[in-house]
Amino acid sequence: MAPLTSRVLTAAAIGITGAGLALAVVDRDGAAALTCLAAVFAVGCGLVLVRREPSSAVAPALAWSSAGASTVMLVEVLARSSYDPSPHPFAELARPIWVGIWPVNVAGVLVLLLVFPDGRLPGRRWAVLPGIFACGTVAMVATGWGAREVGDRVVGGPSGSWVTVVGVLGLLAIGSSLVLAVASVVLRYRSGDAVRREQIRWLMLAAVLTVTCLLAGWVALAVGAPLPMAFTPFLVGVVVLLPAAVGVAIVRHDLFDVDRVLSATAAWVLTLIGSSAVFAAVVLVTGRMVGESTGLAPTTAAFITALTLLPLQRYLAIATGRLVDHDRFVAVAEVERFAADVQAGERTPEEVEEVLRLAQRDPGLRLVLARPDGTWVDIRGCEVDPPAAIAVRAHGAVIARIELGRDSARARRRIAELARAGWVPIEVSRLRLELREALAEAEAGQVRLAEATAAERKRLERDLHDGVQPRLVATGMRLRSLQLRLGSTDSVEVDTAVDELEATIAELRRLAHGIRPSRLDDGLGAALASLRAQAPVPVQVRIGELPELDDLRALTAYFVASEGVANALKHANAARIEVYAQASDGRLVIEVRDDGIGGIPPLGLTGLRDRVQYLHGELQVTSPAGTGSIIRAVL
Amino acid sequence: MRIVVAEDSVLFREGLVRLLTDLGHRVVAAVGDATSLLADVAETAPELAIVDIRMPPDHDSDGARAAVAIRDSAHAPGVVLLSQHIELRHCMELIGTPGFGYLLKDRVLHLNQFDEALRRVAAGGVALDPEVVQALVRSQQANALRGLTERENEVLELVAQGHSNTAIGAELGLSERTVETHMRSIFGKLGLLDDGATHRRVRAVVTYLESAGSARGT
Repeated sequence: MAPLTSRVLTAAAIGITGAGLALAVVDRDGAAALTCLAAVFAVGCGLVLVRREPSSAVAPALAWSSAGASTVMLVEVLARSSYDPSPHPFAELARPIWVGIWPVNVAGVLVLLLVFPDGRLPGRRWAVLPGIFACGTVAMVATGWGAREVGDRVVGGPSGSWVTVVGVLGLLAIGSSLVLAVASVVLRYRSGDAVRREQIRWLMLAAVLTVTCLLAGWVALAVGAPLPMAFTPFLVGVVVLLPAAVGVAIVRHDLFDVDRVLSATAAWVLTLIGSSAVFAAVVLVTGRMVGESTGLAPTTAAFITALTLLPLQRYLAIATGRLVDHDRFVAVAEVERFAADVQAGERTPEEVEEVLRLAQRDPGLRLVLARPDGTWVDIRGCEVDPPAAIAVRAHGAVIARIELGRDSARARRRIAELARAGWVPIEVSRLRLELREALAEAEAGQVRLAEATAAERKRLERDLHDGVQPRLVATGMRLRSLQLRLGSTDSVEVDTAVDELEATIAELRRLAHGIRPSRLDDGLGAALASLRAQAPVPVQVRIGELPELDDLRALTAYFVASEGVANALKHANAARIEVYAQASDGRLVIEVRDDGIGGIPPLGLTGLRDRVQYLHGELQVTSPAGTGSIIRAVL
Repeated sequence: MRIVVAEDSVLFREGLVRLLTDLGHRVVAAVGDATSLLADVAETAPELAIVDIRMPPDHDSDGARAAVAIRDSAHAPGVVLLSQHIELRHCMELIGTPGFGYLLKDRVLHLNQFDEALRRVAAGGVALDPEVVQALVRSQQANALRGLTERENEVLELVAQGHSNTAIGAELGLSERTVETHMRSIFGKLGLLDDGATHRRVRAVVTYLESAGSARGT
């Protein structure tokens, strides 16, 4: 549509609405004023749209969807005034068409349905529809020519057999063109892309509401409600809801969660219709059976309807959810199923990120978990920057954040819903991560402690050897120097003193050895070989290829061997001891065997076991009574 | 005897220098680190160097490495390594070779034995601390030594420590002739031909220590 045409039509809608409003105010006609006032909203939306997309037919259609109602009101006000002593200008023009003009109410809606949301007709052939509708309108005007409303009744107007025929034909034309317009929306929806569908959903929501109001109005009219009360909700729907929905859909198509509103509304409307049908059917059947005079029929009907209402609503909610908002329904179900699988122990909670990616259809989605210290980690536990993304909460605290690869307001709402469905696996994987980290930290702490102890032992040993011992020897040397200058009597004294010193030095060396055998400086092999020298029974030491060992591992291996040998000597009454060390797959295997009485409890040697476990090693004790023991450590 | 002393502990160094002087030696240089030691040995050409095994600059086995360098040098004076405890890295190749001794520091207090060991090494002999010999020998009795009797093993152990036949005799309560008989038997069993007593002794010691050291694990 040419921007000029579009602008002119929109301007005309503004003019009509303005005129209607002015006249209604002058005549103190509240209903008309309200209608025109409400139309201002839609016309405003049209104005916004025409500035945004001047070449689109949606803007004038939108403006006219409620300016139509203003037009009908304007005609009514003018026509009414023609019967007054001082009629408004143009009142005579409006007078004959007063009663028949009503289809103009929905003319804008019809066009809107046809051209929404891209401003073009779905195809050339659809151009016929407005024509048919116009014919219907002309027929209505013709059959109501010159008639007037008095109270709630229509008086005057043409008479004759043609009136009925033309009236029915006109109504058919109007009805069928409206139905076809709705069909065009369905066609568009089915062939449209995601955004298009989104926009059309808004229109569908408003249309469902409006049509419901229209139906309700007819029903109300049938039961004898006054005309204004019957059609005011419909009018409000046409004048306010429809334009609002369309305007929002186009300008910002996903402002609110239209999917849920739509599906919930549809479900309730269907439930309403369904339960009404149930009620009517039961009344009909019971009435036939027991007679209409008793109050039994409505009571039974009410009872059965009440019984069926909730299950029906639940079923319809699921069904319409699946139908109207299939994507969301499937996605939430996927996440819920995953959460259930996790609870059943069939899947691990750490898969949650992948599951969310699939459900959200967003491979770029990233789940980041909160750590207690305020930092953030990904699902594998690597530290990451805190993303400015959707927060997942549990018990009021943020437990995770989700960053979207494809971000939009709708995607945010969707993921928030999925996160609600999947918060348990998220929280569990976060807690598991925390637990793993705490465990690793504790283990690292143990290793650090063991390493520090080993370093401290080495320092102590060095201090004894390099600090204390030389001083003692130096003192001994001074004594010897002194001795050379002394007589023989004192010389004996000095000998005693030096012997004492030597004993002290030997004791010191033994002490230092217990802290850390200095032969470890020459390698584990040398240290193990030195075990032989200290044992009263034959100790066979066999040493194969050894892996690279740090100080802590060498010390631990040495302690395994020396404690093993000591144990064999002290408790096992062994006659032969074998010590064996060998590399295996980069680890060190150290074994002490004896031929003693055995019987070491399997969990004995606790100190040794702790030392080995600090290094993530294993200690096995095989010690059946009577056949010797094997102590085996893998480091 | 002209001696160079290298020891980083001042107390010990001073004590040692004094003791050596008292024993009638001349300490031509007393230093505290391995670098100065090498320089002074080259400059003063002593008959013997007494070297602490752990010294600056690295406080690791600097003394041992210096000992190897000194033994490899042209002048090649005898070297006696002193250590607080047995630590054989970097000097394994010297053990049992002529002109090298390895003693624990507290042996210094036995003046006569210490002096004797110094003289032996300066004269191209061997002096090994009994603890060193034990550490090496208590290993598996290797093939070469399998044929020796217990007494012959005892004698050889003392030889390895660097003792003379007289001293061994005194130690084991044997006459010097008996010791000599044992020695001949040992030489025979180890297949060492007579090419001068000192060399045969040394080679016997080397065989002893090498076969003993098969499980020394360094």
